[in-house]
Amino acid sequence: MLYRETGQFKTSYANDMVIFPIRQDRIGVYLLLGFAFIVLPLMMAFHVAPFRTDYFLLAILLPFLILSLAAIGVNILVGYCGQISLGSGAFMAIGAYMAYKFGTGISEIGLPPMPIVIAILLGGLSAAFFGVLFGLPSLRIKGLYLAVATLAAQFFFDWVFLRVKWFTNYAPSGSVSAPELKFFGYLIATPVEKYMVALSFLTLFALVAKNLVRGNIGRQWMAIRDMDIAAELMGIRPLVAKLSAFAVSSFIIGIAGALWAFLRLGTWEPLAFDINRSLELLFMVIIGGLGSILGSFLGAAFILMLPIFLTVLPAELGVPITTETVSHLQNVIFGAMICFILIKEPLGFARLWQIGKEKLRMWPFPY
Amino acid sequence: MSATAAINSADTRAVTNEVLLAVENVTLRFGGVTAINGVSFDIRKGEIRAIIGPNGAGKTSMLNCINGFYHPQEGRITYKGETRQRMRPHVAASQGIARTFQNVALFNGMTTLDNIMTGRTLKMSANIFWQMLRLGPALADEIKHREYCEEIIDFLEIEAIRKTPVGRLPYGLQKRVELARALAMQPDLLLLDEPMAGMNLEEKQDMCRFIIDVNKTFGTTIALIEHDMGVVMDLSDRVVVLEYGRKIADGTPDEVKSDQKVIDAYLGVSH
Amino acid sequence: MQELGSFLEVLISGLLAGVLYSLVALGFVLIFKASGVFNFAQGAMVLLAGLALVRSLDFLAHHGFPGWLAIVLGFVFAGLVMALCAFFVQRYVLGPLINQNALTMFMATIGATFVIEGVAQFAFGSEVYPLRLFPTDAWIAGEGLFPGGILINKLDVWGGVIAGLLVIALAMFFQYTKTGRALRAVADDHAAAQSVGIPIDWIWFVVWLVAGLVALVAAAIWGTKLGVQFSITFLALKALPVLIIGGFTSVPGAIIGGLIVGAGEKLAEVYLGPFIGGGIEYWFAYVLALAVLMVRPQGLYGEKIIERI
Repeated sequence: MLYRETGQFKTSYANDMVIFPIRQDRIGVYLLLGFAFIVLPLMMAFHVAPFRTDYFLLAILLPFLILSLAAIGVNILVGYCGQISLGSGAFMAIGAYMAYKFGTGISEIGLPPMPIVIAILLGGLSAAFFGVLFGLPSLRIKGLYLAVATLAAQFFFDWVFLRVKWFTNYAPSGSVSAPELKFFGYLIATPVEKYMVALSFLTLFALVAKNLVRGNIGRQWMAIRDMDIAAELMGIRPLVAKLSAFAVSSFIIGIAGALWAFLRLGTWEPLAFDINRSLELLFMVIIGGLGSILGSFLGAAFILMLPIFLTVLPAELGVPITTETVSHLQNVIFGAMICFILIKEPLGFARLWQIGKEKLRMWPFPY
Repeated sequence: MSATAAINSADTRAVTNEVLLAVENVTLRFGGVTAINGVSFDIRKGEIRAIIGPNGAGKTSMLNCINGFYHPQEGRITYKGETRQRMRPHVAASQGIARTFQNVALFNGMTTLDNIMTGRTLKMSANIFWQMLRLGPALADEIKHREYCEEIIDFLEIEAIRKTPVGRLPYGLQKRVELARALAMQPDLLLLDEPMAGMNLEEKQDMCRFIIDVNKTFGTTIALIEHDMGVVMDLSDRVVVLEYGRKIADGTPDEVKSDQKVIDAYLGVSH
Repeated sequence: MQELGSFLEVLISGLLAGVLYSLVALGFVLIFKASGVFNFAQGAMVLLAGLALVRSLDFLAHHGFPGWLAIVLGFVFAGLVMALCAFFVQRYVLGPLINQNALTMFMATIGATFVIEGVAQFAFGSEVYPLRLFPTDAWIAGEGLFPGGILINKLDVWGGVIAGLLVIALAMFFQYTKTGRALRAVADDHAAAQSVGIPIDWIWFVVWLVAGLVALVAAAIWGTKLGVQFSITFLALKALPVLIIGGFTSVPGAIIGGLIVGAGEKLAEVYLGPFIGGGIEYWFAYVLALAVLMVRPQGLYGEKIIERI
């Protein structure tokens, strides 16, 4: 009954075009942001449950934030522009390794170590550059052929970061460690600080992504996705629309890759960004909702929570199952979920959320 | 039928003799199949020009050639005094050629409003960085073009479905949204591919009214393909008839109606 | 002469390895031709078939069945498992998605991949199981021509012969049987095929079964070579560029594509590897496929599609 928009009149188009046109939604989002930016950090600082240990923060919240960001990137390309990509992991890797290179300085061209924020952004830009490069085939090929072409990016970069020692600063072990995380002169070390950094990046880029998809370029992406020939006949240039989707998507994925490496992993190898990562991101987007920013969050949350749930629940019930069984079970459930969602609700959790809201607007009267 | 209405309004329009688009000896082949064979005709500024013919006569292929989707092997197409051999569709669009489709080709995942807004793509100028922030020029763009789209929405009487995803609309409304999307491009030449196919009588009358209004109010030149002869004869100033990829007649509706070849093509001829 | 000899050795081993890629690619092509579905699960099916085969062979040998009977029963069991797999995929994944677009179907098969992999390893275990069905030693040919002769792996030859026979059989099946024609109709348009009375459920079951049996053959050969293990699924990913090069709908394309990829990556590894770093066979096929796509977007043998609106 509280959720009604009755009486909320829009007197200008600007008003009508805001992200959350319903006042209750706006309030809800502000509360959520306040909670995430103020209440949670306070709880973490004072070790209030569930933050007694760093587990919840490091194993759930931080990965959730960073993978949500990556999922937003994937969703722009797959969900909004309809260009299926199986190579997202590679672009995360490019973001991570290039940010590392910029962060530790490139002595060959006399480039000193960059401030960490700049390094992360440059990592994203590098990913965008290669995203465009590997997006070029999309101008000639469509659909399934393109999916295979993006796999080329995945395998090629797997190899590059494993074999080309320049990217790892010739580390004998092949794994690299993040440079000192100094953000504007402030050293990031504790989990809470990492959380705040990830949250800030996520909030910023989620807003940017939302602005893009509801603006001119976003409509071009969706037009290409829904009916590419008609779009072209209406003056939308496939070259611009597709490559901009590849660029923006890879940029965001690259940023997420850099954050994943710097904040979550600390020390990493190319294996962290292999084909399984790409498929995981694709799953998040499908389950969460293709063509929905909100869906990216829901999908990331689900994919992250399920394995934890599968590990914890049998233990609680007193049925011990091995980690191997958990991973098999997890595969089966992920796979089945994908099929189920595609069959029953092709727009994923985001659509369910929307239906729920529409019901709530009517509640308690069905019509 | 809106016969009298159509004729009356046609009389009040300013149809000029200036040629907007000329098709000369265009031939289009797909492998061994010749879809269009040496067809020539022109479209004058401000007129409603109909292209008719039996199924498979090459009508849609002709439209596809005009807006650059197919590239004819032979012949020339002159638009606004400029002759072209090959042209990408988006270039044709940027020169003011808009189009609706035989089978509705809307962007199904988007709302009616967003569909119409895509028609304004070419007119928007804010760069991607402003769009990321959705401030300054980007926001101004959005508002300015939203206003224009709202005018079209009013014009075509589709206010109520503004925010409905087009996939959920009934067929007749989808056709109307498609017209709205084409109009949003402010075209000089509007190509309509069977705008009334699959409609009932009321919907057809509405659509006729809209086509005439568009022609009158915006002065848009219209080329349309239609199978309903009543509609064609009432609406159009001149008619070109194709059969098996060749032109068999060209002239005013009355001339075409009495042409023996046309009668043969439509009614069949005993050999 | 030494140079030429070693070149031929690399080329032949590459071509014979390529035949195996062709075999997996053939499974893809079959399903694509018959249902318009790009089946990401082909690799998982190879894993499932391999695990079912090797585990049942172990079981039978353990219980004292004579060798030949164990092999026959083992193949029958694995065949039944593949039939079951085909049934479930058809019934619960593809059936409900009939008339959907190709990308949705593709993503559904990614889902199916995970289910099959999970179930296969859950039911049959997830270790490396050695398989001995074919001789694995090598012939030495052409000793008179080249110093030291050319080493040819017998297993590769077996693989080549079997794959060749399968291809011929499948090509005839497609071209000359009623079911083959129905398959081609279904691939073109689900709804239209249904409307002329083609039992699409049955057709899909048949084609997934055939693809499953092709997977079983591939698993038997690859399993003998490397042991049956999870990494066998990557074989399928290797077969994807083969498809791109050959074209999605062409049986001969799958064969030629496989040969090109097999020979190309071995030669590249041997002759380019020293200059740009080892392990390039990891991605060589993909980059080759991209290059082919830029020149011929429909692959070497694919059909050119005229777009209409």
